[in-house]
Amino acid sequence: METTVKTSTGSQIERRKSRKKPGWKRLMIYIVLILFAIVNAYPIIWMVINSFKSESEFAVNQFGFPREFVLENYQNAWEIANFGVLFKNSIFICVAATVITVLIGALASYFLSRFSFKMNKFIYTFFIFGMLIPIHATLVPMFILMRNLGLLNTPITLLFPYIAFHLPITIFILTSFMKAFPKDIEESAIMDGCGIFRIFWSIVLPMSRPALATVVILNFIYNWNEFSFALVLINDPAFQTLPLGLANFAGQFTTNYGAQMAGLTMSLIPIIAIYLMLEKEIVKGMTAGAVKG
Amino acid sequence: MQAAGKTKGAIIIGLLPAILIYSVFAILPIIQSFYYSVMEWNGFSEMSFVGLANFQALFQDGLFWNSVKNNIYVVLASVLGQVPIALFIALLLNRKLKGLKIFRTIGFLPVVLSTVVISLTWSLIYNSENGLINELLRMVGLGGLAQNWLGDTNWSMIAVCVTVIWQFVGLYLIIFLAALQNVPEEVLEAARIDGASEWTTTWKVTVPMIWDTIIVAIILCIAGSLKTFDLIYVMTNGGPSHSTDVMALYMFNETFSQLQYGYGSAVSVVIFFFSLILIFIVTKLLGRKML
Repeated sequence: METTVKTSTGSQIERRKSRKKPGWKRLMIYIVLILFAIVNAYPIIWMVINSFKSESEFAVNQFGFPREFVLENYQNAWEIANFGVLFKNSIFICVAATVITVLIGALASYFLSRFSFKMNKFIYTFFIFGMLIPIHATLVPMFILMRNLGLLNTPITLLFPYIAFHLPITIFILTSFMKAFPKDIEESAIMDGCGIFRIFWSIVLPMSRPALATVVILNFIYNWNEFSFALVLINDPAFQTLPLGLANFAGQFTTNYGAQMAGLTMSLIPIIAIYLMLEKEIVKGMTAGAVKG
Repeated sequence: MQAAGKTKGAIIIGLLPAILIYSVFAILPIIQSFYYSVMEWNGFSEMSFVGLANFQALFQDGLFWNSVKNNIYVVLASVLGQVPIALFIALLLNRKLKGLKIFRTIGFLPVVLSTVVISLTWSLIYNSENGLINELLRMVGLGGLAQNWLGDTNWSMIAVCVTVIWQFVGLYLIIFLAALQNVPEEVLEAARIDGASEWTTTWKVTVPMIWDTIIVAIILCIAGSLKTFDLIYVMTNGGPSHSTDVMALYMFNETFSQLQYGYGSAVSVVIFFFSLILIFIVTKLLGRKML
């Protein structure tokens, strides 16, 4: 935060010299923006810092840095909440669901965007309708369906709803991207004797890389964060994902604040790391995913 | 392309996996919920047909209407909180500023976090004993204002809404910023040359030019906040004494803690139509297409 303050005053002096625009206005803008940034980031920072404090220190010193870094909270969280298992489950579900969604979504988008056939428009609208389905309204029927299919509490349970509900946005983004390709790509490929699936795999898919990156990120983040379906469909601790495990842990150890914060911090790290690395793509993907048309 | 028999086969093979999994796991549950909604069923014994009795009971249940009211409260708080704050910050950010990127990064951060992480973090912040807010109040000598934020029916809904707003301001901020950057510089320059103050330029030129985006944001905001379930489930589970109960939570608790699968399905049908109709009305009112 301090560096921002410094640069702001620096630019102000510059401004004052170069233009007659009043400096106090810029200062006000910076003050508001810095307040906004603090409100946005401090809750997370507060939690991360306090996760390293012992219980007795947390009670008396909430705002400062820890006098001594305590890793006991992390040990507790890891052991009691079984974080290793949660991480493993989350990564498996997330990667598998994302890969399958993007693959079958891309294949469907290829045919929807590049071929004209009778049901094309209907099938496309059928998929896009999925973006309007209020997911929370399907929790009870989804539970009943999965129970009838004998799919409650298995390692692959969550794949089905995650794939089904993220296909619409995946197909929406990929179809609009693939539509823009020139027609002669396929024509020349066919002249060379390429099959339809061959064209998909070695021409259309590689050409769609930017849109694929968007949908991969979008799917990954949605799946990584998803809670409602996990809550309804999984209660066996062996198959719980991170959000579900965290919520259960906090529900059981309501007053063990240190371990809660340690658990939260551990689940934050991967997503914040990915966010900082791929910020541009993530922001693009998530706003496209939200605005959708 | 030529629609030879071979192509037709390929189209079917290519579309089948997506259609199959989407129909079975996204569409079928909704259709089934219509069927279960006219049944009385505890999930284990035989179902019995009860006609519209579930819906009748539902519409006579004060707790259901309470959850509808709370749901609308959350929607209004989101629209009136998220959109103006996001627009205000976006307008401030839309100029040559040092550190612009940092503000954007921090602004969007909450959007990528899991709702569960956000709910649990904010539960700690609202904690009545040593939560961040009460500690802050005590530090500045306002300890008398410390509250049991989530445990007091006067405050619980406000506390929940603050968290909802905090979670998604960044999304609309980025959407608005993108729109603002598309406003042609010449137009603003022309306004400035005509002697318009920044205030006038903003209200008379910039905001009208991104009005379409603002409407999209409002629709998104309504659709998004209608879905609120996990955040409240984790923070309060609808309590204290139903003060933060929303429709999806009502459905969840009626279904799973009271084992009323038929009744729960009826609630899910109502939520389904309530959401679709509300979004339909709003999109129509604001003059946009739904699909």
